[in-house]
This record gives sequence, C-alpha cells and structure tokens, in this order.
Amino acid sequence: MSIRGNQKKTLSLRLRLVALVVLLLAVSLGLVGFALDAAFHKSSEAGLKARMESLVYLVLAATDANEDGSITVDDDPGDPRLGQPGSGIYAHVYGDLNEWASPSSLTVDLPRSQRAMAGESQFNVPSSENDFYRLCYGVRFELRDRSTLPVTVCILVHSVELQPELLAFRTGLWRSLGVVGLILVLAQLVLLTLGLKPLRRITQDISAVESGELERLEDNYPKELEPLKRNLNHLLDTEKANQTRYRNALDSLAHSLKTPLSVIRSSLPADSSRKSAAIENSVVDMQHLIATRLQRAAASARRSIGKAVDIKTQVERLIQSLDRVYSQKTINTDVIIEPGLAFYGEQRDLLELAGNLLDNACKYGDGRVRLTVHATDSDDARAGISLQVEDNGPGIAEDEREILLKRGVRGDERAEGHGLGLAIVLEIVSAYNGEIIIEQSDLGGACISVLLKTR
Amino acid sequence: MRILLVEDDIGLQTSLSEILREAGYAVDVTGDGIEGLFFGEEYPIDLAIIDLGLPGMPGMDLIRKLRELERQFPILILTARSEWQDKVEGLESGADDYLTKPFHPEELKARVAALLRRSAGHAQPLIELGSLKIDLSSQRVHDGDQEVELTTYEYKVFEYLLMHPDEVVTKTVLSEHIYEEDVDHDSNVIEVFVGRLRRKIDPQGVINPIETLRGRGYRLNKQSQTA
Repeated sequence: MSIRGNQKKTLSLRLRLVALVVLLLAVSLGLVGFALDAAFHKSSEAGLKARMESLVYLVLAATDANEDGSITVDDDPGDPRLGQPGSGIYAHVYGDLNEWASPSSLTVDLPRSQRAMAGESQFNVPSSENDFYRLCYGVRFELRDRSTLPVTVCILVHSVELQPELLAFRTGLWRSLGVVGLILVLAQLVLLTLGLKPLRRITQDISAVESGELERLEDNYPKELEPLKRNLNHLLDTEKANQTRYRNALDSLAHSLKTPLSVIRSSLPADSSRKSAAIENSVVDMQHLIATRLQRAAASARRSIGKAVDIKTQVERLIQSLDRVYSQKTINTDVIIEPGLAFYGEQRDLLELAGNLLDNACKYGDGRVRLTVHATDSDDARAGISLQVEDNGPGIAEDEREILLKRGVRGDERAEGHGLGLAIVLEIVSAYNGEIIIEQSDLGGACISVLLKTR
Repeated sequence: MRILLVEDDIGLQTSLSEILREAGYAVDVTGDGIEGLFFGEEYPIDLAIIDLGLPGMPGMDLIRKLRELERQFPILILTARSEWQDKVEGLESGADDYLTKPFHPEELKARVAALLRRSAGHAQPLIELGSLKIDLSSQRVHDGDQEVELTTYEYKVFEYLLMHPDEVVTKTVLSEHIYEEDVDHDSNVIEVFVGRLRRKIDPQGVINPIETLRGRGYRLNKQSQTA
C-alpha cells in the first residue's frame, strides 16, 4: 500500500516536471521562432527594398522628359523581368501628362499609386487591400524652359516574390526548433532520471530498513539528502535505543523475578499441607506467566528480519545439549533437513521453538525422535519454514490437543510439562504469523507441525 | 558426597544449602565466582551447582575454567534464563544439566542425585549389592524386604563407596567427601562408621562387600554384587 503510494508520488513529481518543461520549452521556443521569423522577414524586406531602389534608378535612367511635358520610358530599362508579363516585378512611371507601365504589367491589374514629392521615397508593404511591395520615388525633370516636370517612379513587387524564401526559412526554422525542443525534452528526461536517482535510492533503502535488511542508512547521498539521512538515522537510533532499553528492562525483570520465586519455593515446608500447596501453585503460575508473557514480550521487542540462520547447525547444537541432559536415556534422533536450509528470523526463536518441541519429544517419547524441516516455498527461501517434531511416546489424545493449543491453557503437568513448552511455542508461532497442528505420528507418538512465516 | 554451591542470592543460598544438607550432602557455599573457582580447584568436589549470574566471574566462565583445569565432576547450572539459547550455551560451556529458576527443591535433589549417579556410571537409581537393594534417590537401603536403618553419616560413607566401586578409598578421602570443613581428620571416626555400616548391611558377614586394605583404606567390591 505504502509502496504503491510512494511510486505514485515519484511519478507525479516526474510528470509534473516534464509537463512544465515541455510547456516552458514550447513557449520559449515559440517566442524565439517568432522573433527569428520576424527578424528574417524584416531583413528580407530590407533586401527587397534595396533591390527595388536599384530598379527605381534603372527605370529613372530609362526615362526621358519631352519638351511638351510628356515622358518616354524605354521599354527595356535593363531588367528582363520588367519585360516579361506577369513576372511579379512591375514598374510605373507617372508624369504630368502621361504615364508608363512596364511590359510585365500588361496582364496584371496594378493598384494605382500616390504621387510622391520630389526627392521623397515611399515604401509600402502588402496590406489587406493589395498584395504588393511598393517603392515610389519622386523626382523633378528640368525642362529646357527651366520649368520642372514632377515624375514619380514606382516599383511594385508582388508579395509572392518573398514567399519561397520566407517559406524555406520558416520550414528550416521550425524544423530545427522542433529538433532542439525534442532534444531538450529528452535531455530533461535523462536529467530527471539521473537527478532523481538518489531519491529513488533512499526510498529503496528506507524500505530495506523497514524490512530489516538494513540497520540504518549508510549509503552516501547527495548533500541535499544528507540532513534527511541524518534525521532518519537519528530516529532509527533512538528507536533502537528505546527498544533495547525496553527489552533489557523486560528481560531483567523476567529474570530477577525468578530468584525470589526460587527462594519462596525452596523455603516452603516439605509437607503437603494445603497452605504450601496453594503457595506452590501460585509460584508455578507466576513462573508460567514470566516464561510465556514477559519473556516473549521481551523477545518480540527485538524482532527484526535478520541474517540467515543455518538450521542444521542450530539443530545439532540442540541435539547435543539434549543428549547431555537426557544421557540416562538413549534417544535416537533422526534429523531430516536439506543442507544449507536457512531460517530468516531470530536464531533465539528457532532454538527456543525447536528446543521446546525436541525437549518434549525426548521427555515423553520412548527413545525415538524425528525432526523434519523444510522450506515452505521452494522458490522463495525467505518465505518461511515448516518444522515437524515426532516421537514414539504415548502421543496427545485428540480431545487434549485443542486444549493445549489454546493460549495460556496448560496441560496436566503444570510447570515443566508439554504445557509450558507448548505455550512458549505458541507465542513464537503467533509472533511469526504461523500455524501449529498436533497429529498422530507414524512413530506412534505425538507429531507437532509448526509453520513459521518470515516474510 | 560433597557439593559446591555457587549462588549469589543469599536467600536462595541459605535455603538450598539447607535442603542439600538435609539430603545428606556435604555442601561448600560461596556467592562469588572467583571463590567458586578456588573451591572447585582445591577441594575434592563431587558435584557443583553454579548460578550463571555471579559477581566476580560469570558462571559460564567459571564452568569453562573448571573444565580447562580438567575438573570432571558433574556441573548443574542454576539460572533464571530459561531460554534454549542460554541452555545450549551453558551446556556447550561444559555443564551437564540445567535447572531454571524457580524450581521445586525436589527437582533439584532429583537432578543432583541423577548427576552423581551418572558420573559413577549407574544409569538407574537402584543399585543391587548381593541381597541389598540401595535406592539412591530415596536414600534407602533394603535387605530383601527388610529396611536397613542407617544414620546419615553411615549412609554417606556407603553412598560414596558405592559411587566409587572397585577403587581404593582412603579414610582421608572419605572424610573429605563427607565433611564440609576439615573439622577433624581423626580416622578413628571413619573406622567407627565403616564398622557400624558393615554390621548393619551384612550382619552375618556373608558377602563382606567392604574390604579393608591395611594402611591404604577401603574398597567396595562390585563382584560381591553378583556373588
């Protein structure tokens, strides 16, 4: 649940950043595009204007003023496009009496132009009314009678003339901007992946701490994450110190209660009076509570998913110890464990569980004990183990099994019997979310199967 | 049989030594691990009861040291730690049995008797010697159906000899294992005990299980068990 939440959060952080960057890139690249486009437009217009100015001079040179105040323009002023109908470049010359249009304008309906004052030049860009760039230049021709003739030379260029150039530029511009944008977005993705990597790592490490694979955050993180690491480690340390204190307090309480109980027990008169029997029973009850509740509470406070515990080694230690304790009894113990089988829990718990079960089997069995351990999931060694202890003793009657499996209910032997051992086993089984089953063994006695989950 | 009790809790020390003395054992008591090591090293101890949480020297170290010094007498661990991890560690350090607090005094006596028996090579608490039946756990001796009444000291002498069959046991050794302190090494007292014991267990002088070896001591002949 929490893991999915984490992933969602990282994803949204990433998405948000990517979306913002894409938006920013679109706006800024768009603006750059428009600015470049406008600048290019302007410079090509300037180029056009310069070209048109030279055409004005060309046409002017081909213009002559007659004595009668009319004008004559050479039909071929020197630019072939002026002589080619519909070429897109046109010239108009306005005199007082007549006007001249270049042969190129024969098939074209040109807008009329305002006359320009002498020495004045007007430049117009295409508007909604016409599609032409127009440069008009006013001059005065001096006639022989010293009078002057105002003449306006206009060059008109159809706006289509600039289009291919602009189009080519625009296509190139937007294409390269698009490529730049794409590269930037991809770079951003890479940067995000690289930049967020430490965050992902710390998230993984935190969940490793949660699952007990790591004790604290030891890795080196970027400077910005160091305070986070420091604070988390501090929290973990405090937590651990508290746990240790709590555990030690419970532990020493459990153990220090036992000596006074021993004193009470051994100071009781050996007679079997009701009074001493009552005290004796209470002492046994207290002992039972300490062994099951208090000590298990201390044990559960230390729970963390630890390193692999080699089951065979630990079981062999137990069997050697039991052989020593039961040396007056010959006990044959068959151990069936795959070599290398590991328990991913507390070694103490494994010893306690197997120790109690084997102890009962030695005590109540008639010299034959069988211990079988295997992994619950052959594909996942960490999933847990199933452990079975059998003996050839009298076994446990069916109606007794249920009673024994109820927490805190003892068997007939109050302190030392199946009851106490099983009560401790039950505490461990429940701490590992496990299961316990009592059956009849083919050896003849009890068969107790326990399943422990370590994931 | 001489028992070393190393227990630092004064209350438990007192009541345990009382119980053990009542059961007919000679008891050396200390509350300190280092002193315990001294006793174990210097005294002819037959069995040690050692608490694990001791001042001076932890019980586990004491056991290890005693075993390093090749003291082979049985050791019973007495501890509040009842978890198997602790039991296994204790037994691995060289102890022979383990008793967790709080325990029933009868349980302690039974364990002590069993350990002593085991170390003498007797698997069962019942020993037969000719027509005599000796129950080591109830400390009673029967001749056929008839109970043989022995005093504490007579029984102690008999028990020690039973635990060391076919061995020559000097009077000094006997007195060392029967008395806690070297109160009086007057060998006459031992001679008196042995004489009385002989008369009681073998009034007709038929099996003569206890042989006197002049100038050396006594020997309990196991052969006479089958004879």
